[in-house]
Amino acid sequence: MKTIKKSRTRLEKAHISLRVNGESVEVAFAPHKTLLEVLREDMGLTGTKHGCELGECGCCAVLVDGQPVLSCLALGLAMEGREVTTVEGMADGTSLHPLQQTFAELGAAQCGYCTPGFLLTAKVLLEKDAKPSRQEIKEALSGNICRCTGYIKIYEAVELAAARMRGEQAEPAEETIYGRQ
Amino acid sequence: MAGSNGSGRKNLKVIGKPFHKVDVKAKCTGEALYADDLTLPRMLHCKLLRSSVPHARIVKIDTSRAEAYPGVKYVLVGKDLPTSFGALPVSEDEHALCIEKVRFVGDPVAAVAAIDEDVATEALDLIDVEYAPLPTITSMQEAYDVSDPRIHEYGEDGNIHRKQIYEFGSVEAGFAAADYVREDITFYEGSTHLALEQHASLAHYSHDNKLTLWSSTQDMHYLHRHLAQVLQIPTNKIRVIATPCGGGFGGKCDPFNHEIVVSKLAMILRRPVKICLTREEVFYCHRGRHPVLMATKTGFKKDGSITAMHHRTILDGGAYGGHGVASTFYTGILQTTTYQLPNYRFEAVRVFTNKAPCGPKRGHGTPQPRWAQEIQMDRIAEQCGKDPAQMRWEQAVLPGHVTANWIKISTFALREAIDKVVEGSGWKKKFRKLPYGKGIGIACSAYMCGTQTPIYWNKMPQSGVQLKLDRSGMVTIFCGSAEIGQGSDSILAYCVAEVLGIDPFDTKVVTGDTDLTPVDIGSYSSRVTLMTGNAAIQAAERAREFLRQAVAEKLQVPGERLVFADRRVFDGENPEKGMTFIEAVWLAESKFGTLGTVGSYSPPAAPGKFKGATIGPSPAFSCTAAIAEVDVNPETGIVTVERIWIAHDIGQAINPVLAIGQVEGDVYMGLGEALMEDMAYRGNRNVVMKNPSFLEYKSPTTLEMCDVVTYLVGEPEPNAPFGAKEAGQGPQLPVPPAIANAIYDAVGVRIDEIPITPDKVLKAIKLKAKGLEGRVGPTVFPTCPMPEAIVVPTPYDGGDGKAIEDKAALAKK
Amino acid sequence: MKGFELHEPKTVKEAVDTLTRIGPNAKVLAGGSDLVSGVMKDWVEGSGMPIPTALVDITTIPQLKGIRAAAAGITIGANTTLTEIFESKEVTGKLPLLAQAAHSVASPLIRNYATLGGNINQRPRCWFLRGPDFDCYKKGGDFCFSVGGDNRYHAIIGGELCYIVHPSDTAAALLALNAQAKIAGPAGERMVPFDSYFVGPRENILNENVLKANEILVEVFIPNPAAGTKQTWLKLKNREVYDFALISVAAAFTAAGDVWQDGRIVLGGVAPVPYRATAIENQLKGKNIKTSIKQAAAIIRTVARPMSMNAYKVDIAQNLVERTILQGLA
Repeated sequence: MKTIKKSRTRLEKAHISLRVNGESVEVAFAPHKTLLEVLREDMGLTGTKHGCELGECGCCAVLVDGQPVLSCLALGLAMEGREVTTVEGMADGTSLHPLQQTFAELGAAQCGYCTPGFLLTAKVLLEKDAKPSRQEIKEALSGNICRCTGYIKIYEAVELAAARMRGEQAEPAEETIYGRQ
Repeated sequence: MAGSNGSGRKNLKVIGKPFHKVDVKAKCTGEALYADDLTLPRMLHCKLLRSSVPHARIVKIDTSRAEAYPGVKYVLVGKDLPTSFGALPVSEDEHALCIEKVRFVGDPVAAVAAIDEDVATEALDLIDVEYAPLPTITSMQEAYDVSDPRIHEYGEDGNIHRKQIYEFGSVEAGFAAADYVREDITFYEGSTHLALEQHASLAHYSHDNKLTLWSSTQDMHYLHRHLAQVLQIPTNKIRVIATPCGGGFGGKCDPFNHEIVVSKLAMILRRPVKICLTREEVFYCHRGRHPVLMATKTGFKKDGSITAMHHRTILDGGAYGGHGVASTFYTGILQTTTYQLPNYRFEAVRVFTNKAPCGPKRGHGTPQPRWAQEIQMDRIAEQCGKDPAQMRWEQAVLPGHVTANWIKISTFALREAIDKVVEGSGWKKKFRKLPYGKGIGIACSAYMCGTQTPIYWNKMPQSGVQLKLDRSGMVTIFCGSAEIGQGSDSILAYCVAEVLGIDPFDTKVVTGDTDLTPVDIGSYSSRVTLMTGNAAIQAAERAREFLRQAVAEKLQVPGERLVFADRRVFDGENPEKGMTFIEAVWLAESKFGTLGTVGSYSPPAAPGKFKGATIGPSPAFSCTAAIAEVDVNPETGIVTVERIWIAHDIGQAINPVLAIGQVEGDVYMGLGEALMEDMAYRGNRNVVMKNPSFLEYKSPTTLEMCDVVTYLVGEPEPNAPFGAKEAGQGPQLPVPPAIANAIYDAVGVRIDEIPITPDKVLKAIKLKAKGLEGRVGPTVFPTCPMPEAIVVPTPYDGGDGKAIEDKAALAKK
Repeated sequence: MKGFELHEPKTVKEAVDTLTRIGPNAKVLAGGSDLVSGVMKDWVEGSGMPIPTALVDITTIPQLKGIRAAAAGITIGANTTLTEIFESKEVTGKLPLLAQAAHSVASPLIRNYATLGGNINQRPRCWFLRGPDFDCYKKGGDFCFSVGGDNRYHAIIGGELCYIVHPSDTAAALLALNAQAKIAGPAGERMVPFDSYFVGPRENILNENVLKANEILVEVFIPNPAAGTKQTWLKLKNREVYDFALISVAAAFTAAGDVWQDGRIVLGGVAPVPYRATAIENQLKGKNIKTSIKQAAAIIRTVARPMSMNAYKVDIAQNLVERTILQGLA
């Protein structure tokens, strides 16, 4: 059994190996840290944001073994040997993920702060379901709170990305861009 | 004044097109660095000790145990920062850390700088504060009743911060001319911004004695001034950098304690100091929507035309002044801008209570009176037997109108907006015709595009832009505006690109840095597009003149024939004859030397000349009509908003997809305030906020958000850049009353206070079933002695914009 | 977050031994969506609720994970995530009530991480309990702040000294399904029916269940429901996501035609424990559900003792019981 002690006067760092955005990495950190803190503070991956650090807003969502979870609730120590994906790892090499592209095109990112969490949660949705309905998109994204967009542009961006990922030459609807006439 | 509408809508290459935002890819990839993403070598972390009691004298603060704690570098207390400050010059009632007393749970009393956040947090426990509790003031009524103790030693009297009273025309005469007079008492609960980003700041004090503060702020310029004031150092020794702001909505407008505290700590320690507030602390910062109780007495004719309105408001301001004096004006001053209103009297009182301070939130002070007015309009229509959409259409303000309180309206397409939503929603087939439990309701609004004056009085421009053109072909745009997600950086790029005929991505936008950028007074009051846009157009037109002269000379073509488009400068009569934009820049740089231009914007003078007349007037007004369709479950009281049709007069959208995004965001925030958002307190015992968390402060998720159908309407506004009016605030205002009116249509009950929670709906339905009035809402409006009104004759009865006292004083001379 | 010792046992015995050795300052970590956020990060403490100095992470015990179907019923390990539960064909097929209850918890992001054991054993969400400034009974203090404060979400039934409502959705479903808990402690394992798993403030004001400080919930056994059992879950909340039940109703019953034969009706969000409405069940026994449900559901009014701000919950509870049963029948 592994026991890790932490005391104030002598910080004994924990040390784990995991895969982050497709690369094997080792990281040492104060053992009480959450995955969120390890990513941002010990690995410099500040693309993962935080809005409450209490598991109530969805900002800090990352993928652990392909599942979206809240990195503010997961202990860093529990990540030994796991595969973690953050927004920095979404692009496929030099080209943006279709979701990143459509979020940009439609202004689905306004202040941009909740965007990483939405992008990663939506990525998993589209991996599971190439053509989700509007209701399924709402359900899948229901744990991510956005205060800027009213979510509508986010749905439209997910639908547009899904169409393009299915190989369709999709463009946004006129109403999405110009409003109803 | 700058204005390029002459070029006409059809020839525009950038304006009106759905370009993506200049900063959006950084935000979709994790590249954008927000304040808490920044780190510097040797950086320390700061935490604030906040008061656990709502109102008390500070008897003693002993920091010795905290100072001795390993890892702690400094403990700061109130006396280290003795100068007071506040958002408005008339209410500088805050200290960075409380000195003599605390005024609400969450008021900061001490700050620790330490090697990491955990050490700083633990050290807070070691600061011993002895409080001598004072009686707490928790409500409007208590603030009226209790004059001792006073929360502040200034203000009107007791715990009344501010009284404002105006009469435009004569409401007495207006009521006498009315067929009916009715008074409704309504309440709009406070709510908070709940931006996803927790406030964060990083301060650095270099060895050449210059302070740099990176902060998630909407109002870098004001913050700059406040820092100089409190830190007692010149503004030219301070650089404020507004980092990408993870949501503002008004919540990052005030200068905040933590911004001053980390600056001071950095100066003392000469090490970088960072703070990131917890979500709970963000709730204590608040500065959100004021809870407002309103009594609105309106006289009207049988045809629904309004003869007079006497509108009274009481604002629960919380513990500090902040922007509250302005908020107080806004609970009444724009009541005249939606419908024809010939006589208007407005009385407002703001009180202090021992709660987190209120301030500006999206729509600043105006959603509350819109709520009162629009749910009353629904009743007036019913009383007159008129269709409420038709009645609003008939009473709508028309373009060119001057209101009773001397606000000049320019373009105004409210009738077109009403037509759009009435037609789109199938209103005529649905209103009062849907089955029990289903309902439809309408409301309208108007909102300003910036104010006439900045927060501190001066005659300098509100907005400045500098352009740098050089042989790289890059156009760098410098402006002091703060990008808070609304797209203000992109607006600058689009306007400059349109004027110079280049691609918006050929520009580099540098904003929000007091060392580098000319002053813009901040992202508030829906002023940014109009004011920075006009300044940017002026700067770009001046740059275009340099290029035009150089190219005209080279090509031997009259300058006025030259066209700037498609990254080229060419002869409009012979498009083959021309050169690339970059070649034009080379020519101009060769001819004139290094190229740079400036542009600035000051709003036109308003016609009103009475005291307070500068609050309310704006270069342009947007307007909005919204129709909500709802489902009300009579067993549970749960209201589901199914769809909102909203038509917004934006003039001409600079970027329609971004404008629609703003409108949808407005609908979202209005929906949240209507149904669930509630800045409430856990009983009176401790005056502790009920809900300083995302969990307890309910905001709509994807599963609550309704469908939205958006229409952009209107004609280009001459005072606005390429005719573009605001979209960030106005469209929120009609949403809550449209929902309330739809609930009445669905189940026949009036909920006269928001949020409209299931318990209120159930209660009203029960009352109605018992044969009583099916209404939940306030019934009593407390009063206090009011001073004499400032009386101003309206434009319709021969006024000249001055108050009557002024005339008397003039006559004496 | 405060510092703590983290223990990662590989077996149940190791976990129990560790808990026994450290004593009440050690707490079981079974996912952490409540313990990490609600307790550790918020630093909520009192004499009867010390901030743990040690966490025993039982998600590292492989034995505690997984769903096993057998002839007599389904066994679900305490570490199974809520997402795994409602995505399991066994559970959705035989125990739709549990699947729906698990699906109604918090948000997708939480359900991917939160475990069944953690959901059953989470602490209540009373905002006085969760507020650091209120030294209430449940924290070891001597006052209940809900009595004079804002009690709009507090108990309408069975409150005494303390007026919390039990927060777990899966607990209400499991009680309706007559499930049992397997508990491991120093003396070995014992089975406890959910009928007697939860305890109210009168019995133990500091804890909401029978688990001792050195015991852990190992797994849950749900017997196969009788053939034709109707199962319904309705949860009313102020917001569809990230919210606890205002009122929830879990019902599992059999009917011959429209006549009630046997079954259980459990309400969440009304009492300090998942509240089994036996009086309503008894009233329905042998009766035509359609004609007698209204009257039966009204029994809730006779047992309810609402507080100053939550009488509306009585109305909703009555309506929701009626709707749940009728929906199950249809």
